[in-house]
Amino acid sequence: MITAIAWKNVWRNKTRSLIVIAAVTIGVFAGIFSMAAINSSVVQRIDAAVNEELAHIQVNNKEFRSSADIQNIIRDYPGVVSALESTPGVTKVTGRIIVRGIATTATKSSGVEITGIDVGKEKEMFTLSKKLIPGTGSFFETNTKFNTVFIGEKLAKELNIIRYILTPEALTSLKEKGIPPEIVSKIEVLQGQRFTSDKKFVKAYEKLLAPGEIQKYGWKIREAAWSYREGSKIILSFLDINNNQTGAAFRVCGIFRTNNDMFESLSLFVPIDELRQLTGMEEGSFHRVIARLENNDITNSMTPKIREKLPDYEVLNWKEIQPDLAMITDFINQIYAVFMVLILAALAFGIVNTMLMAVLERTRELGMLMAIGMNRRKIFIMIMLESIFLSIVGGFAGMAVSEAAISITGKTGINLMKYSEGMEAMGYSAHLFPTIDVQFFITTTILIVLTGIVSAIYPARKALKLNPVEALRGE
Amino acid sequence: MAVVEINNVFKSYHDTEVEVKAINGVTLSFEKGDFAVIVGPSGSGKTTLLNLVGGLDQPTGGEILIAGHRLSELKPSELIDFRMDHVGFVFQSYNLIPVLTAAENVGFIMNLQKWPKEKRMTRTNELLTSVGLADRHKSRPSQLSGGQQQRIAVARALATHPEFILADEPTANLDSKSAESLLDIMEKLNHEEGMTFIFSTHDVRVMKRAHRVITLEDGKIVSDDVRK
Ligand SMILES: Nc1ncnc2c1ncn2[C@@H]1O[C@H](COP(=O)(O)OP(=O)(O)OP(=O)(O)O)[C@@H](O)[C@H]1O
Ligand SMILES: [Mg+2]
Repeated sequence: MITAIAWKNVWRNKTRSLIVIAAVTIGVFAGIFSMAAINSSVVQRIDAAVNEELAHIQVNNKEFRSSADIQNIIRDYPGVVSALESTPGVTKVTGRIIVRGIATTATKSSGVEITGIDVGKEKEMFTLSKKLIPGTGSFFETNTKFNTVFIGEKLAKELNIIRYILTPEALTSLKEKGIPPEIVSKIEVLQGQRFTSDKKFVKAYEKLLAPGEIQKYGWKIREAAWSYREGSKIILSFLDINNNQTGAAFRVCGIFRTNNDMFESLSLFVPIDELRQLTGMEEGSFHRVIARLENNDITNSMTPKIREKLPDYEVLNWKEIQPDLAMITDFINQIYAVFMVLILAALAFGIVNTMLMAVLERTRELGMLMAIGMNRRKIFIMIMLESIFLSIVGGFAGMAVSEAAISITGKTGINLMKYSEGMEAMGYSAHLFPTIDVQFFITTTILIVLTGIVSAIYPARKALKLNPVEALRGE
Repeated sequence: MAVVEINNVFKSYHDTEVEVKAINGVTLSFEKGDFAVIVGPSGSGKTTLLNLVGGLDQPTGGEILIAGHRLSELKPSELIDFRMDHVGFVFQSYNLIPVLTAAENVGFIMNLQKWPKEKRMTRTNELLTSVGLADRHKSRPSQLSGGQQQRIAVARALATHPEFILADEPTANLDSKSAESLLDIMEKLNHEEGMTFIFSTHDVRVMKRAHRVITLEDGKIVSDDVRK
């Protein structure tokens, strides 16, 4: 009965209760949704790191990372592989050869890390093959031609492999994509001109368009003008096993686009056998063995087990290789804590205030209730319940709104293309797909209810302190 | 045995610099079936006396017995239950819980005492009928007139068959007609069921119908007229 009365009391002053509930709803929504957005970019970043760049676990010769000497190979490759494969939780294992070198084209050169990979296996293990820009080549198809290389878009730009040309087809495709014809005709004068870098191209079309138009269409125009000739040649030079300068010409047979500029401009991939031949390394020698685990959650617990099995090697997980990535997860949790403290403080404030008002307004009524037989415990519970109902209704409304917003934007994404350059330079996608764990929802719910309870105590104690005789006299 | 016995009771307040002797040596008893009214000028101690009798307040001297129980011997928590069992209260205003219907208000104390639903419903209907408001059982207090609200309060006060009903100026906020009909009902309950009523009032209409008029002045009884 007390519960029913408390619930009805919440709706006595509808406007006031609704205002508090709305405030709680907005607070909870703002908190959860922004967390979901931030979380999504981190989740995407970590996924990319694990699936495209690092794998879960890497095994190296102990010297390899401090001195990337080509001699520092894994002595017992089959032993390492079988040790890994026999560990439950490990799903896939492959070896790589890694050498430092220089990539050169007719006009530019750039320092790179050349990775020799087992093309077929890596295609299975990683999603990097899916990051190949359609139409740029067939690096991952079996029986591709000899001397092929898979490079990042960033590196391709640095090496002037990518050009910007507004071909007649590009202009038509822009029109088809819904860009207003007057915009297209403004940039038509650039037709056929060749720009060797996106900076030059951007400069050229920015002269022709208004700032608003640049912001709105610039990105699409760049996409349309993007062009590259398949099979462009680059020279890779590096040291062989005897420390002699060596190298060869490779044909670009695929360009990948990720959200990580560093990775894109540093890493390039070639078939492992070719690299082994060119360096003069023995058959069956590798610098690094990489392993994937069933899922990312077991990374921390698996690492020491594997390390124990391979005492002669350096065993590292992705968090150890890129501590900044692991840190960002902690950082997110800290942001969450700060957010939650702010939201909950506002929530507590609103509830204490509202409930104090309610107690004050109802002094005589509470006095009457005490006089006719409602004991203090019941009065206390009633006021507590009213506060808790307020916070729960607001909290759940907030979560419902958040859940809806997250499930909508989780599919369509939130496009932050405006800020994409800054974000992608750091390896974060500018296209966010908000996601949140169930765990997060549960924690938030518990925190909201707890806050409701805690902030109810003060008003409820105020009600307890009422003396029925004085309350009935009414001051 | 008297329903209420008041033996040389004092109540003084020290809130301010000067001591206020709200009740200053009152000895009085009420018998079963009394229909008594306490009158006196404002500030004479009527409310204070009723609060003491109802166990809402403790005297600073003297002794009060209700149905043979000394109130001073009860612990605060026992006092609440004692009040529920033995005393019915009707106040001047704010008697009802606004979010509950008339019937729920009448049933409130029975509910606190965990009566089974059947029994509670029967008693509620009986009481609503006896105060003439059976047809309004679903109304909220805000949908009832002041007089009707007071009648609901009387019905609630009667619910658990108390020893007596205390009513502090029950007609103060009522027009004549409502006041008369409230008094009619209380008189009827007094007649038919022998329910004891103790009022305080400024209202001559109430005074005229009382069987006993006790006059207070400065916390003392100056007259006690029984007229039947
Ligand atoms: N809490 C209190 N603190 C100090 N003095 C009080 C307190 N309550 C009552 N009094 C004083 O006690 C005296 C009696 O008050 P009481 O309310 O009993 O009078 P009353 O006869 O009911 O008056 P009224 O007819 O105006 O209702 C008054 O002088 C009042 O000022
Ligand atoms: Mg009074």
